[in-house]
Amino acid sequence: MTATLLKLAFAGIRSRLLASVLTVLLSSAAAATIVLALEVGATARDPWQRTFTAANGAHALANVSTEADAQAIAALPGVAEDGEPIPLANVGLDGETDRLQIAGLRSPARVNAPVRIEGAQPPANGIVLEQSFARALGLQVGEALRLATARGPIELTVTGTAVIPSQPRYPRRNPGLAWTTRSTLERVEPDPGRWRWTQAVRLADPSAAPAFADRVASSMPPDSAAVETWQDQRAAALGDAAPTRIILTTYTIVLLVVVFAVVAILVGARASAQYREIGLLKAVGLTPRQVTAVFALEAAGLGVIAVVIGFTLGALLAPRLAAASADTMLGSPTMAVSPWHLLAASCPVLLVLVSSARSATRRSTRFSVLQAIQSGTPMPAPRSRLAHVLARTSLPVPLTLGINDLLARRHRASRLGGAIAVTAAAVVFALCMQASLDARPAGEASDVPDELPLLVYTLDAVLLLIAATTIVAVALLAVRERVRDYAVLKTIGLTPGQIASSLLGAHAAMALIAAILSVPLGIGLYVAVYGIAGGSSEDRVIAPWWWLALVPLGAVILVTLATSLPARLATRIPTADALRYQ
Amino acid sequence: MTHVRHVLEARGLAKTYDTGGPKVFALRGVDLSIGPGEFVAITGPSGCGKSTLLNLLAGLDRPTSGQVWLDGERIDELSETELARLRRRKVGFVFQFFNLLPTLSAAENVELPLLLVGRGRKEARRSASALMGDLGIGDKQDTAPTQLSGGEQQRVALARALANSPDIVMGDEPTGNLDSAAAREVLALLRAARDRGQTLLLVTHDARVAAAADRVINLRDGLVTDETELQAARPVALPFEHDEFG
Amino acid sequence: MRPLFLALLADDSRYGYELKQSLEQEFDEMLPALNAGQIYSTLARLERDGLVVGRSVEGDNRRKRMYELTEAGQAELTSWLETPVPGARLKDEFFMKFVVVVSAGLAAPMRLIERQRREYLQSLRDLDAVLADGAKGPTAELMVEGAVLHLKADLEWLDLLEQRLAVRKEST
Repeated sequence: MTATLLKLAFAGIRSRLLASVLTVLLSSAAAATIVLALEVGATARDPWQRTFTAANGAHALANVSTEADAQAIAALPGVAEDGEPIPLANVGLDGETDRLQIAGLRSPARVNAPVRIEGAQPPANGIVLEQSFARALGLQVGEALRLATARGPIELTVTGTAVIPSQPRYPRRNPGLAWTTRSTLERVEPDPGRWRWTQAVRLADPSAAPAFADRVASSMPPDSAAVETWQDQRAAALGDAAPTRIILTTYTIVLLVVVFAVVAILVGARASAQYREIGLLKAVGLTPRQVTAVFALEAAGLGVIAVVIGFTLGALLAPRLAAASADTMLGSPTMAVSPWHLLAASCPVLLVLVSSARSATRRSTRFSVLQAIQSGTPMPAPRSRLAHVLARTSLPVPLTLGINDLLARRHRASRLGGAIAVTAAAVVFALCMQASLDARPAGEASDVPDELPLLVYTLDAVLLLIAATTIVAVALLAVRERVRDYAVLKTIGLTPGQIASSLLGAHAAMALIAAILSVPLGIGLYVAVYGIAGGSSEDRVIAPWWWLALVPLGAVILVTLATSLPARLATRIPTADALRYQ
Repeated sequence: MTHVRHVLEARGLAKTYDTGGPKVFALRGVDLSIGPGEFVAITGPSGCGKSTLLNLLAGLDRPTSGQVWLDGERIDELSETELARLRRRKVGFVFQFFNLLPTLSAAENVELPLLLVGRGRKEARRSASALMGDLGIGDKQDTAPTQLSGGEQQRVALARALANSPDIVMGDEPTGNLDSAAAREVLALLRAARDRGQTLLLVTHDARVAAAADRVINLRDGLVTDETELQAARPVALPFEHDEFG
Repeated sequence: MRPLFLALLADDSRYGYELKQSLEQEFDEMLPALNAGQIYSTLARLERDGLVVGRSVEGDNRRKRMYELTEAGQAELTSWLETPVPGARLKDEFFMKFVVVVSAGLAAPMRLIERQRREYLQSLRDLDAVLADGAKGPTAELMVEGAVLHLKADLEWLDLLEQRLAVRKEST
């Protein structure tokens, strides 16, 4: 029996190629975002390791108030290698609000050494900037940097850029980091009392770094020492991808919701179009559960293809997405292809596909065999209360007819409306994000990687494309199901224009309502994501009302455009032929 | 001399289907005229072109050649939109398979033509209710069509066809999908409509429906082969006038 | 005719004049007009054949003769009831005309069919009017329904004949 079910499932996929392709594309997008979310942080793992190795990174990096404290830490048991204590001064930039930490090196550091990217070794009279800081400020090698000191501004020449595994991307780690000679540091900040000292050590047992850090903290006066283990450093570096990951997770949920709705619509439409076939299947001996299983197997089959495509896409795109964090590391992010990610992407996608298919077919398989074979079409749903209410209003006849048609397939209408609402909410989300970005003062570097807005807009474009395609598909479906009814309406006296407007008007009305509902939904989503990403509510900006008003307007226009082709087809069917259509 | 305007007139109607294969000459030149209040039946074997003829007369299809006048107005060259507007007021149609809109209740189906010509909702509902009452289905107003029997559905369809008091009611096998009892009821209702002055044109293969007509046109292979005018019913002498079973 | 007599005597023996009354009342239209003489001669024949037996009552007046079924009569009646009426009805006056016309070329066969069709349709209309009236009892109505169905079948037969004629014409 399983072989038969599988054969039927495969035949089903082949016979509805367009719907299958749409399902695969949609599910691939969802799978890709899941994989991206999982991988975008991990792609930075290798580059960070490379940087750590090149820098002879510190298993523990302590920031203390005196040189003596630093030397004490270096003398602790477990230390295999230690570098010189390095003084740090916190300096402001002339004319800007950014601040800078300058490390004064007397000699090249042994542990946790800056890895030179540009410029000659060693820094002579100038200043070497950490790469992401230099990029954020737009400074090139050879340009001047003006520091604001107690004794007036001091100008230093940028002689190079470097990366170091202990410094995450600016401005996520603020203030930025730079290196000069000790004498330059004394010139910039002559008061040693205002210096902090860093001590980098390598341990005999790197895995014991957290324990070592605890020991250091307890042996120092409270609040005077801060110790970062190499695990902390790595986490900070990978954490750069946190906003991206949150966005991706959000969009994964959005996409999965849309997948559920769209697949339910497609499968439900299939099931009712093949009402008679299902009846025949049941007559042959398939139980309702087995019939549902056929549809579920189809969905699962498509899901497997989609997951593979999505996984490939996600793995390929993840390094590109994480490119911003490459500012702090050697080399570019690598693909972190992991079979676990494939599994992690499959589970939600397949689950959503199968449950959507099952929920859509459950209703269609619950009818008697005889009914199905005789009637060939499913029983329309009983009139909803909304339809009753509408019947009493004085809306124009084509519009009430169209809305009646829409409401007759309640589940499909609500799923389509849900998909439109969720898509529009994602657009609202993007608008709010753009408003927040626009609201930042000019020149201030963003702690959100540059790729992020691009990612959000791309995902929104994908969602809009999917929504538009779904609407066209559903409208075509609706027209095909009502070919004979349209012919009857033309006989009674509806003009072709009225028939087209019944389809257009109903869908536009539904889109309008869905889009209006999406505005608070999208704003809520943005607020939630912003909170999870750790942003402060003062910086959070909601998009202005005239932007938000574009969303329902745009939804109506988009839906009208998408429905116009099916509507035109609806009027083109020759009446006499259509009357014979079953 | 007063010229009684025909409700429906056709001259030289022909329809040829040319869809790649051999040409199909569905109609080969049919002339027809129907006066007000007439009940005309079109009979003939299947494939003779009767449904095609009806579709051309109702403006649901365009003839390959020939002309059609509805109430003196030439309709074979009108646009779809103009035809639809014309049909609204002047033509009621009854189908073999009822063709009620499943998403509307029975009364909503009946009042649809009334709404299309611009009557208000309340007024339309009142007219529809009255009409359904006349046809014996006044209690089925809010029922969904799928919950009605075949005969009831066809009566709703007839009510819908009569809603705007059209110039002519056309039917394509109106009793074709009904059991004999329901067929008899519907035929009686059609006769009653005719008695009230409604012009009827029915395509049928049911001899009883044909016998109810004033004029029977026989079609074969796309041409009119016979046209019969029937007289009023003659009295019949019957045995068993005294009741053996009663 | 004879089985009718037997049937009328089946439940009860009757006088001759009672038989005449019943025949006239119930089967009036189906039979040719019967006078008293024909009725009594039929009875006499039945008696001679041993199917009924007559008993004079009181005045020994022939008119007051009571008749009842014999066993043989009962058997004959039962046999009549149980024997189905032959199904294939191969006698049709119109078909005779049609064959004659087609083979002898005496007239246009199409016209013959058309005229017959008009007659059938008109008859159908007449019978439908009877039913629509509703003034007749159920027995009469059942008979009319039967006639209607036969007419419908005959009309179908006419269509078939017409179709065959057309084919025949095309092939010559």
